[in-house]
Amino acid sequence: MGGAKRAERRRRQRALAADQTSRPAAKQSSRRAAKRGAGGGRRGVVVALVVLALLAAAVVGGVLWQRSRSGPGPAQATPVTAEYPVALTDGVVVAGKDSARVTVDIYEDFLCPACGAFEKRDGAAIDDALAAGTARVRYHIVNILDDLSNPPGYSTDAANAALCAADAGQFPSYHASLYGKQPREGGRGYTDDQLVQLGRDLGITAASFESCVRSGSHDDAVRDQEQAATSSQALQRSYPDGRRGFATPTIVVDGKLIEIGDSASWLTDAIAAAG
Amino acid sequence: MVRDLIGTLARIGLAAVWLISGGLKVADPEQTYVAIQAYDVLPTGIAGAVAAALPFVEIALGILLLAGLGTRLVAAASLVLLAAFIAGVAQAWARGLSIDCGCFGGGGAVASAETRYPQEIARDLGFVLLAGWLVIRPRTLFALDGRLGPARAPVLGAEGGT
Repeated sequence: MGGAKRAERRRRQRALAADQTSRPAAKQSSRRAAKRGAGGGRRGVVVALVVLALLAAAVVGGVLWQRSRSGPGPAQATPVTAEYPVALTDGVVVAGKDSARVTVDIYEDFLCPACGAFEKRDGAAIDDALAAGTARVRYHIVNILDDLSNPPGYSTDAANAALCAADAGQFPSYHASLYGKQPREGGRGYTDDQLVQLGRDLGITAASFESCVRSGSHDDAVRDQEQAATSSQALQRSYPDGRRGFATPTIVVDGKLIEIGDSASWLTDAIAAAG
Repeated sequence: MVRDLIGTLARIGLAAVWLISGGLKVADPEQTYVAIQAYDVLPTGIAGAVAAALPFVEIALGILLLAGLGTRLVAAASLVLLAAFIAGVAQAWARGLSIDCGCFGGGGAVASAETRYPQEIARDLGFVLLAGWLVIRPRTLFALDGRLGPARAPVLGAEGGT
């Protein structure tokens, strides 16, 4: 492309110079102008090359700079003492005693900032209710924000790793850790190495945990959960302009979708109402 | 002389547009990526590359315009970039996506009452006028183009010597 442009320009300059020299009236000055034109033309080509080189350098520099940017750093282990049973069934993590009177379904994505805020605000209250046996929580980890990490795929990787941690009996701590220090939307998420290291920091020693994380054993289950959630009419919410859609976090209490409001009172009210 | 002055103002103005827009993007690369993804038009792999390179391309254009080097070429490149932005906003508008254009920082999904598609396109068309002037008449004051030699090939920088 560059060569063709240069050749075109040279052709144009030669034609211009020839034009000027062929006019008899201004022959002397036009010959001088032709010489200057040819020199300026060459200088013009150099300037064009400098400009294009600078723009190319900007593109390359940008991509290299972005690659070199460190991500969120290592994940932070936030152990949680979970004195309640936790089981993984069909891609859903069921926590709490079966005898609990209130059942809460929580739909979350590990990259979702609103989910992080929700966990920070209400995580302790949820944990207390689970330990007291007043509520039972079903965690549906979805990956709707998969394309919003750079490189994409963190939502799926994190969801898979959390289910692997559930296999190893460490879901509550792993879940709290991933939200406690949450990667930024649009940024790099935790790598497989960092997800494996987090499990080790939380005391997971089973060798199967690492292979579960790296091979994405639960990826399909996560995608199934995401499919089910996004296609379910009952889980959709209305936006001010009339559109309806599924978003995270979505909280369902005893089968009814609720707005979580300004505090954890949605949980305490539901427990009190259940008597 | 007046036209040289108008050209100079256009050049400095367009330089400021690129430097501010690029600078805000460099300051928040994650937000830039989210904003580009919200347009839902580029495949994810390309969106990542664009999010990485775009801020620096804008800054490079701004620096070149500020220095007044290769003004016509840089103005033409600006037109191409502005055309891409306008097309992006227009397709989001046509498809009923609810996003903030993210042109000056920010960007991503917003409530549809807060979208400002017509204003964003009008603003970009204003910048197109600046760039268009410089493509047609790249001769400006205080520019490197003018200092690089008495005669310039009409295809690049300012035309003619005196």
